[in-house]
Amino acid sequence: MILETQNLTKQFDGKGGFKDVNISIDSGMVFGFLGPNGAGKSTFVKTMVGLLYPTSGFAWIDGFPIGTIESKRQIGFLPENFKYHDWMTGKELMKFHAELCKMKNPYKKIEELFELVKLKGHENKKVKNYSKGMQQRIGLAIALLNDPKVIFLDEPTSALDPVGRIDVREIIKRLKDDGKTVFLNSHLLSEVEMVCDEVAIINHGHVIAEGKLENLLSKNTYVEMVISDYDSQLIEKISKLAYNVVFKDGKLTFKVKDKDSIPNIAKTIVDSGAKLYQLDSKTSSLEDLFINIVGKDEDVC
Amino acid sequence: MLTITKYTIKEMVKKRAFLLIAILTVGYLFIYGYGLSLAFHNNNQVVNNTPNIAKILLESQLLSAGLYFSNFIVAFLIVLTSVGAVSGDVESGAIYALLYKPLKRHEYVLGKFIGLSIIITVYSTLLFLSVIGLNIAFGTKVYLGLGNVFRALFFFDLGPVVLLSLVVASSSIMSTVNTGVLAVMTYGIAMIGGILEQMGSFFTDATSQGLSNVGIITSLILPTDVIFRKMNAELLTQNTGLSFLAQGPFGGTSQPSPAMFVYIAFYICFLLYYGTRKFEKRDL
Repeated sequence: MILETQNLTKQFDGKGGFKDVNISIDSGMVFGFLGPNGAGKSTFVKTMVGLLYPTSGFAWIDGFPIGTIESKRQIGFLPENFKYHDWMTGKELMKFHAELCKMKNPYKKIEELFELVKLKGHENKKVKNYSKGMQQRIGLAIALLNDPKVIFLDEPTSALDPVGRIDVREIIKRLKDDGKTVFLNSHLLSEVEMVCDEVAIINHGHVIAEGKLENLLSKNTYVEMVISDYDSQLIEKISKLAYNVVFKDGKLTFKVKDKDSIPNIAKTIVDSGAKLYQLDSKTSSLEDLFINIVGKDEDVC
Repeated sequence: MLTITKYTIKEMVKKRAFLLIAILTVGYLFIYGYGLSLAFHNNNQVVNNTPNIAKILLESQLLSAGLYFSNFIVAFLIVLTSVGAVSGDVESGAIYALLYKPLKRHEYVLGKFIGLSIIITVYSTLLFLSVIGLNIAFGTKVYLGLGNVFRALFFFDLGPVVLLSLVVASSSIMSTVNTGVLAVMTYGIAMIGGILEQMGSFFTDATSQGLSNVGIITSLILPTDVIFRKMNAELLTQNTGLSFLAQGPFGGTSQPSPAMFVYIAFYICFLLYYGTRKFEKRDL
């Protein structure tokens, strides 16, 4: 595990923040951390990078307790609400951060990163003259300066136009290919769906769902079948294998907890002697899943 | 820490405020010099080749006044440029990208303090030497020995460092606005306390002791004024014991004890320790 937490909690006078978060992330994963505004996402990331002190619990990055110099050496971080020292030029800013990372000869790396975040040609412009999107790009470059093992990105595309968002997605994929672990904090669900291997959903400071993205999404697979020559025993059998089973006008609709149940259900139908004319399955999007899970959590709260 | 120090100095030099301060300082020195030229040449009474003692006292008063207002300008510069030394980065969010890096928080605060101290000390030294230089250039009759000047320079530079330690410690704990209020009010209290203590020398009864006590208490809150009095004493007291110390608000007739300087050393160390300790424990 490159990142692990055990009952990690950060609260402010007993309120807000997050509580008892237990997550484990393997090396080379892109991990999406989702939640509505105020759910505790940024507080969690700030705690992981050592800007906030946990109220209780433990966490490690690459085996080092969070907040220690050793764990800080392993990470890169693009904060959400940031402002860099805008009196410097882009190049000076990068050099400053490289010096803070104690990099000996950072010039080649700086050049590579300017190219990667598509700021080539703007190196000698003062940061105060950068657009918000350009500032986000240089923030990303700074997060990658020390070649970190784990990169925390807090809403990395919030100020970017659609082209910029695609660029960031490509960078994330490239980082994954290079074996880096990316912790992506975002409420842009379509973006998370495109790049993440695993996700956790947090609401009111509690993780309410966590796992591989495909597993979470397949739990919400909706199936529609057109069948004939069936009997009530078949409907009973299907009800045991699926849920929300509805039969109307020759159409049988239900949901399955994972996609592997679909062939079993189809076999049950065929074995019973009923005729199966059509089978459509549709996996819901991350947005559907998010609304479903967060919506239920809101009802409970 | 050295990186923070280096970039703190760069930031101060690159900021437009610094250029403005440099221009206005030249303006201040020009006006002061003009005042000296009028005062020194319009009352040129010499008795038997010996300078009139009253004239020397007037000139020492002008020298003290020049240094007093220079000291005030340096304090003003500290408040304007350093109140946001740490809190400014916290409030803008610039701190997030700095402190997730392998940099200890106390290194960040001390790096800022050292960087600002260097800039302020350079400015303060230039201002001090300019005032002394103008007085010499216009032919002051006040004896200004090299030893006196260097000892006085040490104390002239020490005062701003003391104020800066308060400002940086406060900026590590509180917001920029609160630090500004604290710095201005504390400096004002120290200044008025110092003036009242000097006024005490005009009285001989319990009033004198009372005013002196006010000065001691305000010196404990912020010892900048007492350091200025010491600077004045070092500058204007000759090896022979003869002193041209001026009386009145700019003078230094009431002197701090050696214990006060032990307290000042402790004051700087304690503030920096307390500020960094609080900043290390702080959620950002």
